This record gives sequence, C-alpha cells and structure tokens, in this order.
Amino acid sequence: MTKPLKAISFVLVGLLAFSVSAVFAHHGNAAYDATKWITVKGTVTDYIWANPHVFVKLDGKDDSGNSGHWIVEGQNPVSMTQIGWTKNTFKPGDEVEIEAMPAKNGATIGFLGSASPTAPRKRIVINGKQFQP
Amino acid sequence: MAGIEAAGGFSEMSKSLAVSVVALLAGLTLSSALGAQTSASKAASQAAKPDKWNTIPPIKPFYAGKKSAPAPRRDLSGVWDAAEADGGRQPSGALEHPALIKPRGQGVEGGQPDETGIMHPLLYTPAGLEALKANKPSGPSVRQVPAASSNDPVSQCDPIGFPGMELYELRTIELVQNANQVIYLNQFYGNFRVIWTDGRELPKDPEPRWNGYSVGKWVDDYTFVIETVGLNPRSWLDHAGRPHSEDLRVEERFHRVDHDNMELTVTIIDPKFYAEPWQGLNKFPLHLQPADFDMQEFLCSPIDIEEYNKQVGNVVLAPSEKK
Repeated sequence: MTKPLKAISFVLVGLLAFSVSAVFAHHGNAAYDATKWITVKGTVTDYIWANPHVFVKLDGKDDSGNSGHWIVEGQNPVSMTQIGWTKNTFKPGDEVEIEAMPAKNGATIGFLGSASPTAPRKRIVINGKQFQP
Repeated sequence: MAGIEAAGGFSEMSKSLAVSVVALLAGLTLSSALGAQTSASKAASQAAKPDKWNTIPPIKPFYAGKKSAPAPRRDLSGVWDAAEADGGRQPSGALEHPALIKPRGQGVEGGQPDETGIMHPLLYTPAGLEALKANKPSGPSVRQVPAASSNDPVSQCDPIGFPGMELYELRTIELVQNANQVIYLNQFYGNFRVIWTDGRELPKDPEPRWNGYSVGKWVDDYTFVIETVGLNPRSWLDHAGRPHSEDLRVEERFHRVDHDNMELTVTIIDPKFYAEPWQGLNKFPLHLQPADFDMQEFLCSPIDIEEYNKQVGNVVLAPSEKK
C-alpha cells in the first residue's frame, strides 16, 4: 500500500474508532484470525496490567514485515497469573518475540488467545530467554 | 516466587517449603563460612518465605485422587474455588444449558439467536423470548453478536448481580458464617451478599436489589439451602444474555461432600419467562483452599475499559484497511 493511502486510511480508522460507541469492547476471539499465528518482534514501549485485558505495546514488526506500533493483548490479570504472568513480566526496553493471532482487519494488533493453563501456549521470548510456553 | 505460588495446594506447598528450608540452611551455612552474605544465601533466604498474598488456585488435575477428611457438620466456611478446568467461567451461558448446538469448541455455525436447536433447550414463555431478544451478548454462543452491537451490561462495569455471580463467571468465593448470617464474598468483579440464617421470611414485594434478598437454612447437617428473591431484572443470568423477571426466585443448594469438597446446585424459578424451573449449575464442584489463601482482586474500572477500547478494542474492530 502506498504511503499516502496508508496515512489516509489510518486517519479514517482513527475517526471511525472515535465515532464508534466507547462503551462496548469485549470482542472475544471474533476479531482475530484463529487459523494463523504470526510472530511479532520488537522493543517493548509499555505494558498495561489491568482489566479488561493485559496488553504489551511494542515497536517492531511481524514476519510479513508489517512494522509500526504493535499491541499484543491477553486476558484479564487474574487469568494471566494462572499461566505465570505478573505485573513485572515485561518492561519498556525489553526485546521480545511474541507469537499471536493477527487482527482480521489488518490492524497491528495480535491476540494471545486463551489463558487456560490447559490450553497450548505459544512462544514468547524476552531478552533472549524463553518465557513461554 | 511465581513457581511457588503457581504450585498452590497442600502437598505441593509443603514440598516447596521443604526444599526452601534446605536451601536456606545451605545458604546460611555458606554465608557463615564466608563471613558475609553472598548473593546465593540472599536468594535462599528469600526463597524460604512462600508468598501468602494473591494466591493462585490449582487447576482441576491437581485434585484428582486427593483424599479428604470427612465433612464438618453445618459448616460452609472457607475460600472455595471453581477450578478453571471445571468450567466455572461459562462464556457460552449457564453450564447446564449453554447456548450451543454442539459441545464447546466445535463452533456455533447454524445456530439461531432464539436458541432453536441448542443442546439443552430452555422452555421460554413468549415474554421470556421477547426479553431474551433484547440482550445482545458478545461471547461465543449461538446468540453472539459483533462486539460493536453488544449491550452486555457487565462489559461496562454494571454490577454482575445474582445469580450472575454464579452463572456468568464463577471463579473463587469466600463464605463466612456467624451467628445469624452467611456472608458470601465473590471474587469476580468484587461483590458480596448476605444470607440471613435467623429464620426470617423472605420479603414480600421488596425494592429490587442487584444481589437480591437471601435466607438460608440447613436441611440436614451437610446441605445448606438458600432462597433468593427481589432481584433487579436489569441483570443478565449468564453470558448468553438469558433474562429474568422481577419475580425470579433462585434456590441454591450447597452440599458439603467432605472436608475439601462442596457441590453447588442453582435452580432458576421464573414462570413469567420460563415455563419450567431449570438448573444453571448441577452439583458443580467447589474446592476448599488452604486457610491462608488470599483471593486476588478482580475489579472493573470504567476508566480502564475506556482506555482499553481506545487503544485496542475499537482499533481491532474497525473495518478492514484496504491493502
């Protein structure tokens, strides 16, 4: 996609996001493509440990080269503690590789899926050390 | 530290404790030999103190084959967990009647929002079906709508209410008994109920409450029955948006099976909306946690929800960018 088109569509997405009612959110899995997994590599810029969902913000790119501000989201904090996550799992500056389901609409957002301890867990590497599975 | 927390339970914790004590002694021996505290001994002395806060309950396989002491008489007290893998979370609706045409995980294609053909149908009255239509859930069920159209009040931090706290998402609860009450503390979105055991009758035509008005009594030494009325009809019964009228009566049966195990049965009695009573949970297993178990907090913040929507929720649901 050419740069001007990308800029325009980014603005349009922003406007649309603003106009959509702020009250709902809970999209569940439907917004993500559960049939493919991508790996996002980059540097953590922020880590939100809060309801409704824990999410990691990073500057980086996926395996298709889609680069920019990425977000990878999980479940709520209580569920994430079941699989060993804490409020300290990520820090700004961490170099990470995270496997996630991509957003169907092409946004640079991925989803980690279920936090059930019995569900298969995908690969997460933090500063060269494997954190998950 | 996380490993010790995640292990949870009885024998796992004492095993970890034994290892930690050995490590501590080894550390102390080493440090006295060196005449100073080395980093190894520092780590060992920290490992010796298991973290008692924000504990994580074990998952279902932990309980397999565990033996328990006999049930104490007329005693519900303690922290009780609905083990994750037992299905306390109920994202497709009340466990005994999920809004699914196939077992969970096998998809919802072919399902109808009026629940035609679900595995264990509910007998809605015409009024019940009408009320059902107004509720638009976003979780995985035949009733699922796109998130942008969902009006699930819990997604906006409205009180979960009762029996939603048992049929929408049941995680961990704490029961405390005193002379004339059972106090029920609920982890999911932090709420509580008081169940009166002083023999009072249920109120007639009370002002509706999200958590209702409850009275309870022992029907035998191991079975405690609670009746609840006066429930605010704004609350959903479950994740599939099942409705209830202001005339709803709920019966809970807490059956103390043995010291470590309880079974919970929840019956919905609402002739205005359902032609027959139905069970949301039937002998659902609850597992007693150790006496020092501290429940993690799980509260809903509208400010956090708005921030999440702005950064993630709304962005991921916007229509596709043309590429």
